[in-house]
Amino acid sequence: MGATAALRASEGGMRVVVIERDVAGAGASGVNAGTLSLQIKRVKLMPYALIGHEWWRSAGDAIGFKRTGGYTLAFNAREAEMLHDRMTQKRAAGAPIEFVTPRQVVTREPALCDRIVAASYCAEDGHADSTRTGTYLRGLLRDAGVELREHANVTHIDTREAGFRITAGSETTSSKRLLLAAGAWTAPLASLLDVALPIRVRTNTVTVTEPGPVHLHAGVGHATGLLTLKQKSNGSYLIGGGWQGTGSPEAGRGRVVADTLLQNLRLARFAVPATANVRVLRSWTGYEAYVPDYWPLAGVLPGVRDAYVLACVRGGYTIGPCIGPLVADLILGREPALPLFDPARAM
Amino acid sequence: MSDLRIGERGNPVAFYFDDARIEAFEGETVSSALWAHGIRGWEGGRAYFCAMGVCQQCTVWIDSARVEGCRTPVRNGMRVRSRP
Amino acid sequence: MTFDLAILGAGPAGAAAAVEASLLGMRSLVIDEQVAAGGQVYRASPPISSGDPDGDRLRASLAGCSASVRLVHRLWNVERDDDGFRLLAIGPEGAFEARARSLIVAAGAQERFVPFRGWELPGVMGLASATILIKAQRLLPGRNVVVAGAGPLLYAVAHGILDGGGRVVALVDAQPRSAWWMPDLLSRPDLLVRGMSWLAALRRAKVPILRASVVDAVAREGDGLSATVQGRAIACDAVCCGFGLMPATDVTRLLGATHSFDAALGGWHVVVDDQQRCDVPGLYAAGDVAGIRGAASAPHQGRIAARAVAGAAIGSTRERDGASRFGVAMNRAAQVGDYVISSIAPDVTMCVCERLPRSVIEAAIDDGCVTINDVKGATRCGMGPCGGRMCEDAVARLIAIKTSCTRRDVGMATGRPPLRPVALDAIAGDFDYEALPMPAPAPL
Repeated sequence: MGATAALRASEGGMRVVVIERDVAGAGASGVNAGTLSLQIKRVKLMPYALIGHEWWRSAGDAIGFKRTGGYTLAFNAREAEMLHDRMTQKRAAGAPIEFVTPRQVVTREPALCDRIVAASYCAEDGHADSTRTGTYLRGLLRDAGVELREHANVTHIDTREAGFRITAGSETTSSKRLLLAAGAWTAPLASLLDVALPIRVRTNTVTVTEPGPVHLHAGVGHATGLLTLKQKSNGSYLIGGGWQGTGSPEAGRGRVVADTLLQNLRLARFAVPATANVRVLRSWTGYEAYVPDYWPLAGVLPGVRDAYVLACVRGGYTIGPCIGPLVADLILGREPALPLFDPARAM
Repeated sequence: MSDLRIGERGNPVAFYFDDARIEAFEGETVSSALWAHGIRGWEGGRAYFCAMGVCQQCTVWIDSARVEGCRTPVRNGMRVRSRP
Repeated sequence: MTFDLAILGAGPAGAAAAVEASLLGMRSLVIDEQVAAGGQVYRASPPISSGDPDGDRLRASLAGCSASVRLVHRLWNVERDDDGFRLLAIGPEGAFEARARSLIVAAGAQERFVPFRGWELPGVMGLASATILIKAQRLLPGRNVVVAGAGPLLYAVAHGILDGGGRVVALVDAQPRSAWWMPDLLSRPDLLVRGMSWLAALRRAKVPILRASVVDAVAREGDGLSATVQGRAIACDAVCCGFGLMPATDVTRLLGATHSFDAALGGWHVVVDDQQRCDVPGLYAAGDVAGIRGAASAPHQGRIAARAVAGAAIGSTRERDGASRFGVAMNRAAQVGDYVISSIAPDVTMCVCERLPRSVIEAAIDDGCVTINDVKGATRCGMGPCGGRMCEDAVARLIAIKTSCTRRDVGMATGRPPLRPVALDAIAGDFDYEALPMPAPAPL
């Protein structure tokens, strides 16, 4: 979010500094499962997802982008109905999704189980290597001449005079405008400006397995959205789906909860029986911010002149490179090409 | 290569590693049996490095399960593979 | 089923804790992934006889006490809540789960490796590894072995090879002779005498001892290996190289206990008070995991931890502290200067699992990475099957050297489950798809 907004603002002629409490990509963008699937995007956010997806696609090898195609599966009648209903709407919103028969799926991907009742397919779906995000963004910022300050935890924002004086460690930065795009850490920053953003945080679990023989080529999703499953070219499976660990950003890193981890793994095992014998190497959690209506906060920070906020974008990894520049356009005084999401509505 | 075994052993055991028949003794790990037989490594792995089940360099496949050779006692007739 | 106490590790500290817990009437569970109790220092592989009476005594006393002992059980996760700990393991019969109000982590130590050219070749192993082969498996690492590194295991392994009928073609001690002159060695005259007899045996066998030296490289040579030391190539069929022990802090990291870095205690270790308590409620640590203090100190720590769990008076800690002196002195012997890290060539592999050479790690540090977690995220170093256990110490030391920061600043890698690789099916178990508790679907 922050990086692509910074790049656009800089392109537009502003002098930009990005202040990051850890390192670039240390948050959600570096620890998510890397899924770049249009099928899991929300209907109303599909136009944004299409643009963001294209951004990742052109990043190519630098981010390990792979256009693998993706399936969404339903294993019973209830799921099939949900699948049909949702994918029809997503297709109408612009995603190139087609319905396929279970037989077609299993012919193309023999590693999938034989209990598929309904399925959809999108040839554009793929994934990136999310661990490379930080390095990639750092390079883009450097090439664009945008200053990036890492390991800089903002503790104070002074607004007594016009503009902002932002203190992080021993350094104070003065700027005319301010964009808060700190993901799950946005609310504490807003409170430094006496703004109480109603941000809540989910703790999503991701699991990686040991490298081994490749059985699965396309990405796999579930009608409910509760499973993302992909196999990397070295054979490691990445398993996600938003199963909840525990923790809070203030307390530090989140923790995996065994019970939810096991459900996630069982879903994966059900979808791809060959995962039975692979060894799980590591599970971790990442924070995902949201507000009660589940739509993004993208626009003016309520009550603070020249301050903006961009956070709580569900599917934010895909959508970030689209919505970041849109908010930058707003800051530049231009009309964003797509509607933004006024944070004031959430207050 | 002369024997690397020290001292007495108990009952003999024979198993297969990539279809080669390996003679070993009760109580030995798969890694030890391979080591004593002169097999210290294969593509992507080696029989011993940390010898504690930590480094994961000694993994082999037995009945489609991937296990650490250094912690797996040999059993008669076991079919061990260096790849899945 | 809820136990009063669970003990992780059936080595000297864990076994002593279990025996003491039994005497105090606590219902306790011991979990260890090895086939027999004894930890690494008294490792055994029945029916092969390790000939170690101390180990046999430990196994007998553990078997004779009332603790429930689960061997060949690999712990993959521990969770804590207000009622205590939930332990999840895999055993020979499948998934195993237990709850305990208190937990003593007695997970011991692992070896410290320093990367060198060729350390990933078959035939290269550690010193603790060689000890395990010789003592527990009654197997020689080779018939013509180079023994290298630092610390007491250097001489123990060299002697073990000679005793087993093998040849030590060179003993390469990274330390100068003066590093061994430590008053605390006198606290264990029996071990000192044993060490001197080992040296005498090495001299009798005319083993070349090269001091203040390291193995620069190992390469394949015919059917065997060639080790380069001080510019000379030494033909051999095995290279055993290690640099002391480090606490095995996987579980304590996972549970979020506070750790401290102290080179004198083997590096990062979990912090305990005088009663072996960690700063996480209900969590205790005993033995080398709390700082490398050796096999003689471990049983005292285990007993004190068990008594602390029971709320019984722990008595004097003098014996424990006295028994620790020799072990701590041995850590000093294993401490080598930064040169072993700074002399690693750019193309030498540092992270074996991910095949990352020093140059890749350094590029990440030059790019702004200052902690081990930064480097891990940027390079995937430590994300392979070993979870960074082989490379984290060397990489962290490299970061500290290059950024002129302390090891404390560089930090430890975050602990994550599973504690060891486990098959998905083994932990997921049997299930009925329709019965899976699914939360609400993602919003449309």
